[in-house]
Amino acid sequence: MYNLILRDLYLALYSSANFFYTSSFFILILVLLPFIFGTSIDQLQLLFKGTLWIGLSLSIILTMERIFNTDYEDGNLDIILQKNSSLEIIVISKYISHWLVYCLPLFIILPLLSLLFYLNTSDVFAIFLNLLLGSFGMIFIATFVSALTLAAKRTIFLKAIIMIPLFVPFVIFGSGDNSWLILLALSMLSFVVSIYVSTYGLRLYGES
Amino acid sequence: MYFRVTKNHINAIKAANPYLILSTVTAFVIGLYYALIQSPPDYIQGDSMRIMYIHVPSAWFALMCYTILAGSSVLWFITRNPTFNLVARSIAQIGMMFTVLSLVTGSIWGKPTWGVWWVWDARLTSMLLLFFLYLAYIFLWQAIANKDIASKISAALAIIGFINIPIIKFSVDWWNTLHQPASISKLSAPSIDVSMMLPLSIMTLASLLFLITVFFIRFRIEVLDNKILRAGDEI
Repeated sequence: MYNLILRDLYLALYSSANFFYTSSFFILILVLLPFIFGTSIDQLQLLFKGTLWIGLSLSIILTMERIFNTDYEDGNLDIILQKNSSLEIIVISKYISHWLVYCLPLFIILPLLSLLFYLNTSDVFAIFLNLLLGSFGMIFIATFVSALTLAAKRTIFLKAIIMIPLFVPFVIFGSGDNSWLILLALSMLSFVVSIYVSTYGLRLYGES
Repeated sequence: MYFRVTKNHINAIKAANPYLILSTVTAFVIGLYYALIQSPPDYIQGDSMRIMYIHVPSAWFALMCYTILAGSSVLWFITRNPTFNLVARSIAQIGMMFTVLSLVTGSIWGKPTWGVWWVWDARLTSMLLLFFLYLAYIFLWQAIANKDIASKISAALAIIGFINIPIIKFSVDWWNTLHQPASISKLSAPSIDVSMMLPLSIMTLASLLFLITVFFIRFRIEVLDNKILRAGDEI
């Protein structure tokens, strides 16, 4: 399990995405806001939370093919499946490595970003908690969609159509205040569904 | 559960087809007569509420088709009987058609009543999401070349997407927004007048007959396409 996580982290670090890439992505999504809506700070504060949710969804949608599909296409998934007897361990290590690479940078730079938009500490903490709990659930959903759609190659928009309706409950409760308990429940529920469906998808791939 | 489609079933469906079409047309003629001519106009909304007689049944059947889709996917997972798979595939396209119909008639109704074609109301938005669930189901089927794997994956997706149905059903209570809550429920007396209830019932029956007719046509095509008849049967 640690080997798998380390492998994915090294791959991300050296090839596709390191900390600076992913955090720059979130910053640039927010930089677009004043260009679209003007520089009135009241309006920007209203849009800040929603834009963070859209940025998080986008980063997960854009990178979801790297969870299983790239390994599947270059043949690494065969070796991973042979080396590890437990499919659940593979799936859990994918959750961890993908969250560390593509979601953690957002939480590291979030205090800095909220400084740019003059938010006070209690508001930032509420947004932080909601995003944190929501990001777990969204990673779980992206993982099982990636595992299920291994056979559908190069159909990233189809996968987005599948995933976005499943993101909707997280976004509904994530945009509310004091809803972190519901988000935690949703994330736990999606973990239960995800680990079962992801292993089912991998097993289907192993059979064919 | 070990039911298998045979030549006799297909022939029976084929023979029933003209009668189903005839009864559908008859039910629609009677229903539209009551809906458009006999029933009184609403005392606030006037004649524009008559579109309800199309809108409400199609919204009900949009949800019902998804329930059947998810239910037959579950049964397919349990029994591995390919008939359930074909039921799911046939019902998906009909359900998508009803979803589009309810969205379109809803926005035509919304223009005179609310003053806008579309509001970002909970129920409308979740109906739109239901449309995309149907779309994802149908497209996923086409995107995967291996039909054996495609049937397994799309069945799993249909079951997961079923989470959206309670969200649609209860979104009005949770968010308390513009769309009126359901007037007809099983637990209490309906808050709708009898003169409107009668045409609505007939139109619901007509829509149900229409659903069954189209479903049987689609199901027959799917069976013939996939050649899942019992060995020895030839058509």
